[in-house]
Amino acid sequence: MATLTIGTFSSLVGSMSLDFVAKLSTAAVNKGHKVNIWLSGNATMLAKKGQKAFKDYSHLEKSIRELLSKGVEITTCEACTLARGIHKEDTIEGIRWDAMHWYLAKIANSDRVLHIGGE
Amino acid sequence: MADTKLLFLVQRPPYKSENPRLAITHAISYQTVDLFLEEGETVTPVLAFVGDGVLNCLKDQKSIQTYDTTSTETHVKNSLLLDIKVIVCKEDLERLGISHDRLADAADMGAESSINVAPFVEIMKEMETSKHLLCF
Amino acid sequence: MKLGVFLSDLRRTENTIERLKAEKFGIFLVSNGIYHATLKFNGEISPVLKIQGANYYALLEDLQTRGLSENNLVDKKIKVITYDGLVDLIMNDYEQLAWL
Repeated sequence: MATLTIGTFSSLVGSMSLDFVAKLSTAAVNKGHKVNIWLSGNATMLAKKGQKAFKDYSHLEKSIRELLSKGVEITTCEACTLARGIHKEDTIEGIRWDAMHWYLAKIANSDRVLHIGGE
Repeated sequence: MADTKLLFLVQRPPYKSENPRLAITHAISYQTVDLFLEEGETVTPVLAFVGDGVLNCLKDQKSIQTYDTTSTETHVKNSLLLDIKVIVCKEDLERLGISHDRLADAADMGAESSINVAPFVEIMKEMETSKHLLCF
Repeated sequence: MKLGVFLSDLRRTENTIERLKAEKFGIFLVSNGIYHATLKFNGEISPVLKIQGANYYALLEDLQTRGLSENNLVDKKIKVITYDGLVDLIMNDYEQLAWL
């Protein structure tokens, strides 16, 4: 089985790209692949716990917790997260905090990389 | 000894979104990536600016004076200082009427390398020889 | 190069896709990119669908989300895929991926 690393800058609310990331990751993990997810820029909002599941907005906390329980490594960019006023105690347990070099290292050792950087 | 070459392809202009800046800072983070790699493994980033993304490379950006935030020019200059290969698409510069002397230069910071202006076909070659592609 | 390109917008700010060349070229229409698979523009198919030799895929869930289905495809060469199919394609058929 192969390793897929996904990096994304899209916001949780206002775009459905993170829904795409969650669904693609779930499909890949269910097929036995290893998945890493890097959250940077506005995507760091995904790390925030306590997301209210309004039907008018994307709400992915449940999906993220399921992905974490299946061994998906999810890391949020420390600087991008703090810049948005989100602190470690505010984030979903199991999400790592690190810097961009974590992402580059995961990319270097991945079979496939999907970087959602343009929107 | 294994090196992984990564191409960072920047297609969008600066300031409207954070993405071009993040492209450059992600590329620069190769400096400390060895913290997470096995002995002998390295990462080599190449930064290529195409389409309206070439506008990130204009010199004399004054965002620090106007908005108190660092400019994409500063990040481009830091990339040159760190010997990252920076390529700007020749056809896109011509399309937008930008002469080469309007591009950022880090000679004042002591950089030995400068921006390469090259046709898109050269950027395609970089793509073909990279393991992964990151578009911004 | 075996390149898979993801197109997620109807209106685009870049023209990279038209300039790319690859030995194997896959275009994944996702999110609002699926409109390229389902709309004609002044009677013509999208320029995105005119890339020589490219394989085209449209994500089923993104079609359905927007009130569209396989019946709305404007070109027979477009294949509708699920997320499972997408995973198989990116793992088996395309080595480099680009989200434009």
